[in-house]
Amino acid sequence: MVQSTQGLQGSTRGLRSSRTGKGRRPWALLLGLVILATQVRLVDAQGSASLNALYADPHQPDIAGLWLATGYFTLSPDRALPSLKPPFDALYARRVKAENAGKPIDDVTANCLPPGMPHIMVVPYPFEIVQTPGRILFLFEYAGQVRRVYLDGRRPTEDDDPTYYGFSTGHWEGSTLVIQTSDIRAETQDDFTGLPHSDALVITERIRRVDHDTLEDQLTLTDPKAYAQPFTVTRRYQLHPTWTIGEYVCEENNRNAIGANGVTGFGVPPPPAKK
Amino acid sequence: MRTWGKVRSLLAAGIVSLGLIAPAIAHHSFVMFDRTKPLVLEGTVLQFQWTNPHVWIEMTAPDGRGGHAKWGVECTSVNMLRRQGWHHGSLHPGDRVKLLLYPLRNGALGGQLAKLLEINGSPANLVSYR
Repeated sequence: MVQSTQGLQGSTRGLRSSRTGKGRRPWALLLGLVILATQVRLVDAQGSASLNALYADPHQPDIAGLWLATGYFTLSPDRALPSLKPPFDALYARRVKAENAGKPIDDVTANCLPPGMPHIMVVPYPFEIVQTPGRILFLFEYAGQVRRVYLDGRRPTEDDDPTYYGFSTGHWEGSTLVIQTSDIRAETQDDFTGLPHSDALVITERIRRVDHDTLEDQLTLTDPKAYAQPFTVTRRYQLHPTWTIGEYVCEENNRNAIGANGVTGFGVPPPPAKK
Repeated sequence: MRTWGKVRSLLAAGIVSLGLIAPAIAHHSFVMFDRTKPLVLEGTVLQFQWTNPHVWIEMTAPDGRGGHAKWGVECTSVNMLRRQGWHHGSLHPGDRVKLLLYPLRNGALGGQLAKLLEINGSPANLVSYR
């Protein structure tokens, strides 16, 4: 939070002036304390000091904190879909049909595999953004997953292996963080409905703080193999300054593993046979 | 009776809106649950599994034929339940519970917990999935 960083700097200045005035100018000490009290109250009134306050690059807008997605948890909150090309249209139709029958298929997360990008950005669990010099980290509660976004100039190489979260580089355009992610594994899905993409997927995100408590991520999915046109969705996240990220080990007691029929499981006995 | 009718329709509207507003989902696809047909289930806790990726309530409930049947009730994660007021000792084996459930579509005896309504006859109001 930019304001709190300024607040802390202001407080420090207040303390310094009080030190230099010690003994000779007691009014300066009083003034310093008044300024300090005002600044501390300002930080409190805004709900929370940034987790980043001590380490933030003053030239970098502050988006650190603990965020939770709002809205429906399909990739697009209004369930809009990209225009799918063959054979991705048929693949998705098959998945939707199975879901409508209550028997979801190809649901890799049910086996505790990572959701990957972009699915992780729309799960109903919080994540923490940590800003450090040269990189921004997204620490997800969901299965303890991590996204690293490099701002230090490194780029993906030609022979990078595709990964669940791909390779992310970022830069600031004013107060907007622009992230480009490539090298994403083809088998990750865009959301829990199984919306597919190909290995050509590149995601451009434009992330900005709309207000103190709201983060916005505009994601544009460009995938010439799977989508007829680039597809853009805008997601919002609510700040939860009092929350703490908890541990989440998916393998601890997973009762939803995919069965031999390819359908997501549910660990209860089968229904009694009808007589 | 008109008053009761009004209360009933308000309750029904409340239940329907539970199914439509901000559904927090699981680590897996939740379409196996029918969110359009929430049901109230009363029974006895066999086991309370305070685990990830889901907390589970194993319970028995009357089967309508004079006996009892075993149900599996899937809740959200430990962390999300904690944020909604639950803790590892919220339920114990033997507790009598009344809960609101989104049932499995395939007819098996299980579902996704929307909300715990009562524990041993006392109001509970512990939310799992909105």
